[in-house]
Amino acid sequence: MAEPHDLAIVGGGPAGQAAALALAGLGLRIAVVDEQARPGGQILRQPPASFSVANWLPGSDHHWLKDQAARFTALTEVEWIGRHSVIEIARTGGSFALLAEGPDGIRPIAAHRVLIAGGCQDLAVPVPGWTLPGVYAAGGIQAFLKSQRFIPGDRIVLAGTHPLQLLIAAQIVAAGGSVAAVLFAQKRGAMIGAMIARPWIAARHVLTLRTAAAATLALKRAGVPVRFGARLEAIGGVDAVTGVRAGGPAIACDTVGLCYGFVPQSILPRMAGAAMRPAGHAGGWAAVHDAWMRASIPGLCVAGETTGVAGAPAAAAGGTIAGLGIARDLALLDPAEADRRAAPVRAHHARLLGFAALLEDLADPRGFLPTLGDDTIVCRCEDVNLGALVPEFGGSANGIKLATRCGMGPCQGRNCEPSLLRLMADAGRPGDPGFTQRFPARPVPLADLADPA
Amino acid sequence: MERSHVLVIGGGLIGCATAWHLARAGAAVTLVEAGEINAGASGQNAGSLHFQMERRFLENGAALADQAQRIVALNRLAIQEWRGIEADLGADLHVSQRGGLMVAETAEQVTLLEDKTRREQAEGLGTVMLDGDTARALCPALGDTVLAASHLADEGHADPRTVTPAFARAAQAAGATLAMRTRVRALARRASGGFDATLEDADGVRTLHASQMLVAAGAWTPAVCALANLHMPLFPVALLMNATERTGPLLPQLIQHVGRRLSMKQAFAGNVLIGGGWPSLLAQKPGGGFDLDAKATILPAARSANLRAAIDIVPAVGALNLIRSWTGITTISADQLPIVGEVSRVPGFFVAAGGSAFTLGPSFARLLAEAIGGGRAAALDVVSPDRFNHLNSFMG
Amino acid sequence: MRILSDVVRGAAVTLRVDGAAVPAFEGETVATAMMAAGKGVFRRDGRGAPRGLYCNMGSCGECMVTVAGRRVRACLTEVAGGMEIATDG
Repeated sequence: MAEPHDLAIVGGGPAGQAAALALAGLGLRIAVVDEQARPGGQILRQPPASFSVANWLPGSDHHWLKDQAARFTALTEVEWIGRHSVIEIARTGGSFALLAEGPDGIRPIAAHRVLIAGGCQDLAVPVPGWTLPGVYAAGGIQAFLKSQRFIPGDRIVLAGTHPLQLLIAAQIVAAGGSVAAVLFAQKRGAMIGAMIARPWIAARHVLTLRTAAAATLALKRAGVPVRFGARLEAIGGVDAVTGVRAGGPAIACDTVGLCYGFVPQSILPRMAGAAMRPAGHAGGWAAVHDAWMRASIPGLCVAGETTGVAGAPAAAAGGTIAGLGIARDLALLDPAEADRRAAPVRAHHARLLGFAALLEDLADPRGFLPTLGDDTIVCRCEDVNLGALVPEFGGSANGIKLATRCGMGPCQGRNCEPSLLRLMADAGRPGDPGFTQRFPARPVPLADLADPA
Repeated sequence: MERSHVLVIGGGLIGCATAWHLARAGAAVTLVEAGEINAGASGQNAGSLHFQMERRFLENGAALADQAQRIVALNRLAIQEWRGIEADLGADLHVSQRGGLMVAETAEQVTLLEDKTRREQAEGLGTVMLDGDTARALCPALGDTVLAASHLADEGHADPRTVTPAFARAAQAAGATLAMRTRVRALARRASGGFDATLEDADGVRTLHASQMLVAAGAWTPAVCALANLHMPLFPVALLMNATERTGPLLPQLIQHVGRRLSMKQAFAGNVLIGGGWPSLLAQKPGGGFDLDAKATILPAARSANLRAAIDIVPAVGALNLIRSWTGITTISADQLPIVGEVSRVPGFFVAAGGSAFTLGPSFARLLAEAIGGGRAAALDVVSPDRFNHLNSFMG
Repeated sequence: MRILSDVVRGAAVTLRVDGAAVPAFEGETVATAMMAAGKGVFRRDGRGAPRGLYCNMGSCGECMVTVAGRRVRACLTEVAGGMEIATDG
């Protein structure tokens, strides 16, 4: 068995990259594991190496991301383990044993320390008709655009509460696609009000808000209606999407992107036994950490969206702090030097978290989620509808899972758990810690796990 | 003080089913459960309905096999019980009895199968030996290494997640009181008869007096019996279960192996459930002893061997994805046979634990209710707690 | 539809999805190639209703297909010339 790595980083997005960069030149052996082939995370779904894309992701927003990815890729101390999913994290004595699964089977990764920077995913929001082919998480549409240079439909509606849908719509239009409408469930006044409530934060993040404003302008020029107070009621169609209803007449379309916010990917820290806290208005679980991004388990750090969804710049700042903290813990950086380097990053991080809080309030889906019928599916994998769940709300989430099969499918609760916990809270059962996280963290072929023949 | 005819401790299959039978017969029944209904082994097992003698009874010599053979009469009762259960409860429990195949891959294993089949036939069970090709004709997914199989048409599986809740609902509808999140803190026998149980829940402490009681608390049974100052030789074991993603129809039968730890089936939803008695590691308490309230740890070597056995016997499952593994804690008794019935030295004190309690649970429950109601229930003699009387000679 | 401006794709390859030929470009995911070819239905659910891809980032499991005897997520699997893909229909 090979010598354990000094550090294994789960996730090669902005946070994971920043941590590795903060540890550059200190002589550590670092493994970075990611499900995609290339670094970048979801924010920077890089096109495949075999594509060349002129002017990919133009705009100042992404310049630093591309630059960081390039510097990360150049690090010699990093072993990049792409196309691998981490299916288990376990403590063994004083270090960690990860199991990763990839195209060639299982790969054990031993490391003295682990940083989990696994990112976030779209909040899955049930709405009548959402299981029709043609309905996507809005982030999924964006990934097609960015990474595959592909527009997944001829006439697209984006609906939800998160301003990201303005950017995605503008990207679709810029790429030559057609957007039938962008629908915000909140009233415009409520969104502006949220900004007015925190004027200093809004003012400091003018550049980011400008991106949203530019997107809105581009949509206006393209004749794409942006509606407010338009709460999604249902998605219509027989075997595929044909339209949506959001108050008023149906809007014809063949593709819907649902954009209600994001939740951290939390299965791995929970499997490790780390202390968690509710992540935010959209739901989900964030890992608890100290000032150096150390989680409650010795040797485990967390950074980026894993600690609460706050966007790529905040993720990078958190990753940098985590890296500096690890160097400090290993006495590769003396405490005073670590503090000195961390100080400006902390200040930057704090400002970014302030903006993230504003964005979270702007995008708050609570009170704006679609109303579900008894026959609306909540667990997509196992076809469990609301009507099957309601009678079981007296029990725990684990008990409800046992009784209804909600959470027993291949997504392993990633999509249905936030909705289930919200429905339970609405029914007077808040505070449930959610599903017990079991092996494996991702589906893995039996043949890979079995003893050799 | 509350009063009840019967106090049932444990909200698993046997507890809820016995409560139902008793309530239907007019008894005042109170069932207490420390957590939620069906949260223990009753809900965690893989739902096998295995009426053939288990592999573990055949590998420790003729004497144990002789003893286990006497259980077969209970297995035959269980076959009928499962055939009627959905109608009795008015619920869809996904009971499937499309046959079971216990396979052999070596000549030595074939001999074991033949011995087993003879014993079962002597007890009136309709097991037949099949050669490998015939087995494969019945179950095309079986691999080429299967030399022979013993087939029992009545074997199969049911859904553990719905069975116990259905019994619980039926028990409540019949008038039983079911108290969740209620622990038993003390048990005292009254000289004049009956038991005083001290119960604790979120609202506080109370006492309940019952003329008779049943401890059907799975792995916690010995601890509850200890409250009544009784030894009950039951030992916790943590077992591994694995579930694949759902797939198209692949395995109509329950598949077991006479020479390897393997039990597999395709549940009604389409997932293939793979187990067979592979051990997991029980958690330990800091001061010593097993911690039954903490999760047992999966042993990777057990998992990889379990999955290897599954792929060897049903090669197609190798291509399926595992989506979850879990552990359940059941019990094994000092002689491997279940312990079910009245403890004669403490009249009115009944116990039910020790394994096979999904397959035999509904039968045990019916017989227990009969015994508690004063009936003979002779079929329980073979699993009577009295065979361990000697352990309680010095327990006052 | 594939965006044509400002992008030069990898080499053209051909896949087979449930036996039918599907054109693709090296570097694309199986999901992209299937959807570009109008094959947006990946499976049927418990009620027999068609299901398509949903999250496109490997979280939801809706896009599972079988390739070379392995069940993989189409949205994370890169195409290769001659790849044989089977959906759950």
